[in-house]
Amino acid sequence: MKWKMDQIEMYSKAKEYVDTAIIPLTPVQWGKDEKNIINMGEYTNYLSDYIERQFTGRVFLFPPFTYLKFESKEEKIRRLVEWDKHLYQEGFKYIMYITADSEWKIVEKKLPGELIWLPAISTETTKTDQFKKTIQEQVQQVMPLFSLKWQEEPTERED
Amino acid sequence: MSEKKHRVSRRQFLTYTLTGVGGFMAAGMLSPMVRMALDPALEASGGSDFISVGIGEDELTGEPQRVDFNVEIVDAWHTSEQSQSAWIYKEGDEIVALSPTCTHLGCTVNWDANEDYPGNYFCPCHGGRFEKDGTNIAGTPPTRPLDIYDVEVRDGMVYLGQTNER
Ligand code: FES
Repeated sequence: MKWKMDQIEMYSKAKEYVDTAIIPLTPVQWGKDEKNIINMGEYTNYLSDYIERQFTGRVFLFPPFTYLKFESKEEKIRRLVEWDKHLYQEGFKYIMYITADSEWKIVEKKLPGELIWLPAISTETTKTDQFKKTIQEQVQQVMPLFSLKWQEEPTERED
Repeated sequence: MSEKKHRVSRRQFLTYTLTGVGGFMAAGMLSPMVRMALDPALEASGGSDFISVGIGEDELTGEPQRVDFNVEIVDAWHTSEQSQSAWIYKEGDEIVALSPTCTHLGCTVNWDANEDYPGNYFCPCHGGRFEKDGTNIAGTPPTRPLDIYDVEVRDGMVYLGQTNER
């Protein structure tokens, strides 16, 4: 399900089946390297959308968590943990972050939820059909991770 | 969630592009086509536009194959792309094309995707299962069969129309 009005009614009917939140992590920066940064965001959107389609009935896709590329690691993590905590307390037992920004990979261990990091392919140089196919293939790779997580007990959060 | 996706509304302008998935689909089979949507008043009289899904009837077997096709909708505010898929197989002379949308809560089902349940469509979300012909399997969450597409064959190519609840 998505962050849209027409989905919320469905959500309230099916609440007990929707236990997973997806948060895209999207960097922002201007004046330097913005092309790359935009590409990361665009790619992350496509990826999140496609994943949401595979798991519509069990996941809720939230709007992206955005941050300045040069924001300190500690601050970013602190803010993301707030999001995580909030959603966890409101009933999302599994929380997945999706990003193309490799910096998250470095701090992965500090995150309470599950990080899915995939290097962005360029929407500029890749033909649309090829781009879609690549996304589909990548999502095929990622899907078992969801199934695996769902078989495990959710990670407890500290208060 | 709605499967009535290619019933399009007024002023929408559609571009269909077809993308095959899986080794059986040659890359050269893309056949884009563009058309204007019908006025809703006309649509009521049938509303079934058929779309080629880039696969020939002679390529079908008894084993369901997945075809993907994309519907791009451009309206006054934004462009959105809706991709649709179908699981297609042939049983005798009959071609069966099923919607992959789980009738429980809308996740995408996959054929033969779970080791424990060969020969079923399997839903990764809450373990919903369906027989090859789309019949929901009792004891799993879905309560009705997978929707089925209208199918037409023109010049040996498979065309899909709207999906129907059963
Ligand atoms: S959405 Fe398929 S079993 Fe729930």
